[in-house]
Amino acid sequence: MRAGPHSGPHHPDELLKSGMYFFFQIALSGIATGAIYGLIAVGYSVTFMTTKALNFALGMWVMLGGMLTYSLTVQYHVHPLIVLPIVTLSLFALGLIAERVSVFPFLRAGSDVWVMSTLAVGFLMIDVAEIIWGRNPTPVPPFFGKDPIYFGAVSILPQQLLIIAAACATFFGLDFFYRRTLTGKAFRAVAHSGDVSSLMGINTRRVEATSYAIACALAGIAGFLVVPLTLAEPQLGTVLGLKAFAIAIIAGLAAPRGILICGLLYGAFEGLVSGYLYTGIRDILGFSIMIIALFLRPEGLFGVRQEERA
Amino acid sequence: MRGMRPALIALALVSLTALPLATGGTYYTYLGVIIGIYGIVAVGLNILSGYAGQFSLGHAAFMAMGAYTTALITKALSGSPVFYLSGAHVWLGILCGTTVAALSGILLAIPALRVRGPYLAMVTIAFGWVVWKILQEWVGVTGGDLGISSIPKPQIGTFRLETRHFYYVVLVFFIAALSLQHRLIASRFGMRVRAIKYSEIAVSSVGVDVYRLKVVVFVISAAFAGFGGTLFAHQQNYISPDNFQFFSSVFFLLAVLFGGAGTSLGPVIGAAFLIILPEMLHDFDHYRLIVYACLILITLYVLPRGVMGLFDLPVKRKIDTRAGIQPGERIESLPPVAGANLRVEALSRSFGGLLALSDVGFEIEGGSIHALIGPNGAGKTTLINIVSGVYRPDSGRILMDGSEVSISSMHVAAQRGIVRTFQTLKLFGDMTVIEHVLIALPSRSRSILYDAVMRSRRAREESESHLHQARALLHLLGIAHLEQAPANSLAYGHRRLLEIARALAVRPRILLLDEPAAGLVAEEIRALAAVIRTLKQIGMTILLVEHHMELVLSVSDRITVLDHGAVIADGRPADIRRNENVIQAYLGPSHAAA
Amino acid sequence: MSRSTHLIRLAAAVAAATFTATGAGYAQDIKLGFAGALSGPASFVGVEIKRGAEIAIDEINAKGGIKGRKLVLISRDDEHNPVKTVAQYRELVERERVVGIVGATNSASMLAVAPIVNDTLKVPVICPATDATEITENEAQKQGRDNYLFRVGMYGTGQANFMVDTMVKKFGHNKVGLLTWTGGWGVTGRGELRRRLKENGLSPVGDETFDNNDTDMTPQIIKLKNAGAQSILNYALVRENTFVVKTKEKLNDGTPYVSAWGIAGPAFWKAAGSSAEGVLTSTTVTIDGPQSPERTAFINEYRKRHNEEMSAAVFAVGAYDAVYLFKTAIEKSGAEPSQIRAALENIPEFKGLVKHFKRPVFTRTRHNAVTEEDMIMTRWTNGKLLEVKFDSQGPYVETDASTKKYIDKTTMKLL
Repeated sequence: MRAGPHSGPHHPDELLKSGMYFFFQIALSGIATGAIYGLIAVGYSVTFMTTKALNFALGMWVMLGGMLTYSLTVQYHVHPLIVLPIVTLSLFALGLIAERVSVFPFLRAGSDVWVMSTLAVGFLMIDVAEIIWGRNPTPVPPFFGKDPIYFGAVSILPQQLLIIAAACATFFGLDFFYRRTLTGKAFRAVAHSGDVSSLMGINTRRVEATSYAIACALAGIAGFLVVPLTLAEPQLGTVLGLKAFAIAIIAGLAAPRGILICGLLYGAFEGLVSGYLYTGIRDILGFSIMIIALFLRPEGLFGVRQEERA
Repeated sequence: MRGMRPALIALALVSLTALPLATGGTYYTYLGVIIGIYGIVAVGLNILSGYAGQFSLGHAAFMAMGAYTTALITKALSGSPVFYLSGAHVWLGILCGTTVAALSGILLAIPALRVRGPYLAMVTIAFGWVVWKILQEWVGVTGGDLGISSIPKPQIGTFRLETRHFYYVVLVFFIAALSLQHRLIASRFGMRVRAIKYSEIAVSSVGVDVYRLKVVVFVISAAFAGFGGTLFAHQQNYISPDNFQFFSSVFFLLAVLFGGAGTSLGPVIGAAFLIILPEMLHDFDHYRLIVYACLILITLYVLPRGVMGLFDLPVKRKIDTRAGIQPGERIESLPPVAGANLRVEALSRSFGGLLALSDVGFEIEGGSIHALIGPNGAGKTTLINIVSGVYRPDSGRILMDGSEVSISSMHVAAQRGIVRTFQTLKLFGDMTVIEHVLIALPSRSRSILYDAVMRSRRAREESESHLHQARALLHLLGIAHLEQAPANSLAYGHRRLLEIARALAVRPRILLLDEPAAGLVAEEIRALAAVIRTLKQIGMTILLVEHHMELVLSVSDRITVLDHGAVIADGRPADIRRNENVIQAYLGPSHAAA
Repeated sequence: MSRSTHLIRLAAAVAAATFTATGAGYAQDIKLGFAGALSGPASFVGVEIKRGAEIAIDEINAKGGIKGRKLVLISRDDEHNPVKTVAQYRELVERERVVGIVGATNSASMLAVAPIVNDTLKVPVICPATDATEITENEAQKQGRDNYLFRVGMYGTGQANFMVDTMVKKFGHNKVGLLTWTGGWGVTGRGELRRRLKENGLSPVGDETFDNNDTDMTPQIIKLKNAGAQSILNYALVRENTFVVKTKEKLNDGTPYVSAWGIAGPAFWKAAGSSAEGVLTSTTVTIDGPQSPERTAFINEYRKRHNEEMSAAVFAVGAYDAVYLFKTAIEKSGAEPSQIRAALENIPEFKGLVKHFKRPVFTRTRHNAVTEEDMIMTRWTNGKLLEVKFDSQGPYVETDASTKKYIDKTTMKLL
């Protein structure tokens, strides 16, 4: 492996036309896309486990993270390493506010309208972003330059590699969080049974709010990582959020690590369908498989079957 | 308020009829048509999401099915002079479009309704996405993203219906859709649908195949959407995938939630509001989403149950609203029951390596009261769950009156005459006490859906007799005075009794009572004991799982004791009281000393 | 009071209220309408149209309006939704009494309103965007009835013809690959490109598509490259094209890349940066390179008002011309919609920003102002969209008034 100069290494044409190269190149690109899906999708799981509610507008939080990153790095020339904690903390704080305003009142009333209220907050964010940043897509320079890194002939952008690394870090980080930290253990307790854990002295209310804010912060981090690959624009997260939701569901909302794996696999699947079949049928195939997968495993591929207690 | 209803309805009808005449041009009429069409779709979604509690975010796809089907059919037929002169092709197209939407509803419902909540929402989103993509990609048939134009206008004979005429057609269909919804929801079918929202497992415990019921509701809902789609195609004369995007599905769900899910007029109010609002906000175009979002949030705060939740005018359920039993009304006594003999043989079941039941066998004599006791975790509830069809056993047999029965699910158990109550109560939210019982009463009718729509004389007679039976049951349990009370307003003891009343309504041959005395006070337990004895008198077999030893010892004919998933004793109460094993394992050493 | 009189009074009140709402709004001003996406992903098109039209209207009003009457633009946000476009067209005509409309932002919206405009509303519409051929070549046109739909923007058939013919005939590329967006515009474009290739006796060596949310086009690019494409023809907008050129850069792929007019504005260079160097774009207008004084004035005015560059000049410039075409027609025939329509078909010469039409802008049978002969091919060169011209030595661009740079036909690099 070596970082190539801008013109890239020269490989004989036969190699570039070979099936092996084609397969690995599209699979790797697909996995990089899948890592994005996975990172966002984990956020759904974090809130669902504790509150059984979802932030339907998580994609818009990705956008917010991306736009903040754009402002700080491009407009104010702040170093990405400093941007990351700013984005994380500010989205966490905003997440707490949004939870208090748009989820908590309805969850407490036992109503389902959080579907609508979280979407409403999402609409609000899109419009506010349009007013602050305008509608035109603007690029954000990649954190580690835009010269691709080569594995043999197969190339990948440093930013894509960073996202895959972040997905892996999240994979192990989640395990650490849920098993080793006090907050994480409280989350698991609430996920298991809210009533029992509040008897045990866990402040369920705080766990609910924190989990929502953590999901928002995670989405913000995803936005931070993604925006140099996409473009900074108010519509950034809409479709990403939806696909991530699909992946969270296929994997099973209660299985955050499965979600990451599913994300990577789904990204690779998308790439391979585009490569070997035809882009036009990619989503048709992908979503149909999802329906069938849920038919066969209603609790998600990685979910644990929970028999309804009678 | 109730006295005003006919006047309000008349006023609404007059204003709706007058709208195209009162307003010049076609703008308001067009908005009226669109509200009517979207209203029909929203009403269909309300039946599914509002009443049955199954969220769908893919209804735009069914609308698309209807719209594209009728567009293709009518365009193909419009050349022929027969159709050109009669206009029949449009109505044929509408019929076909609705049918295709309903059929695709079946196709989706079968896999989709295996899952619930957000999973169901995602399956419907996926379906909507797939349909939308197909519309875009199958250019040869659907015209791709540019869609299909020059869809024939509806015509009666050779008279073409322009927007101002079509308005009245849509108005009639719209009123028909509302009254159909009303009939469905007010019927026994509707009660079952509404009950699903609160507890699927309780609905299946009274012998209803919940999965099938959900599929039926889904298909009805899809047919409404498809029908709306066909009207849409002929109103617009042009359709494209843009009309049926994910956001359209979100729109319909928003309309339902905003107007008030599970209220009769909510979805219509919601659709009208969401269509008219942006038309009134032209000056705020650049802040449209902000205004929209703030309005939604504020409304949700002030009206968490939607606009119609404010008025709380649930569908007038066609139930006699007299409170309780009138003086002089004859109480039907319960008809005798041929209580069945139940035997379990060598039942085993484990959960993830943990053996909950191992090789359990005992027999319950027909018409007797048989108690099943044991310390916590002994496997009592697991056994009830197996006999009532919640779990399948890993091995072993269940025999009724000497022949083996296969109990694959709860509703099968109930249909075979094995009905249960639940240790943790499973009642139907704010549905009334008498509705709980009416849901469970067996019907002679082949299709309660047909009855709901047609309201045949026979069906009316049956509902009359059901009312009497339901009252008799409530009377037996001493809660007749509460018949119109919502279940979630009852005191705990009354809720327990209501569970039993609901189970009895199925006319079980074997009644499984899972800790019926839990949480009851002494007086209530005595009343419960009396009820149990009455049931024995009419011949019912009763399996009683209970911790309350006084009750067990006073009513039981025979007792089986479980410990750690195995039978440790079986015999008459007097024997069990003296049984060393039981005293050791269950009652504890202190009792042994006494 | 009896119930029935109560009812009648209520009904009367409702009716009265509605009448007052509709009766208002007849004024001396001449009103033009616009309904298009002003929010959502396509809003940049709508915003450009609105801004272009506003500049023209303010200019006209500053010079005393049309025969002393002020010109007003009433705009509506249709959210890119044809159902809303239909509602708003009706509202604009019936309630606001507009006498002309400056198009919409979505071909599907225009196809939805076309029959209503011709059969019911009967108000002339000039489209600066929306290139589906059938918008102007509609049923009324085919049946010889009065057609109220006109276009100053590009139309699908002409654009595809121009792109294919330029690559095949002028650049000599016979192995052409297609890469189109699965969204509305791309689907029609793909069909039109295939048709024109076939008319040239060719078929595409590769035919790939991508989605709105594709940010990495690796599979598509490798497939086209392996198929031996000499150039890749594309239909998409700014963001998708940005991802295409970024992917090409990542894969170190130098295949010439030719796009339809979706990226003919500074927004593309702003988004894609130097990855866009060498990309060809067919368009009607470029605001880079030498400009007429009128256009320079317009560009400056735009900058002054909005403190930013036009993201897609074609739409703003087209809307500006549309307003002036309305003005010309109204001055000639008065502000009555059917007469404006007739007058539009009889404008012998028009000095517009899109171009100086030295022939009738529209005729009874031709409602597209711009034809394929009016299109230009442009090349993204160091942040500027420069017109590609041809002489005996081959294609070249003028990087400044005195420098000609020739273009290599196989790589599109500057020589």
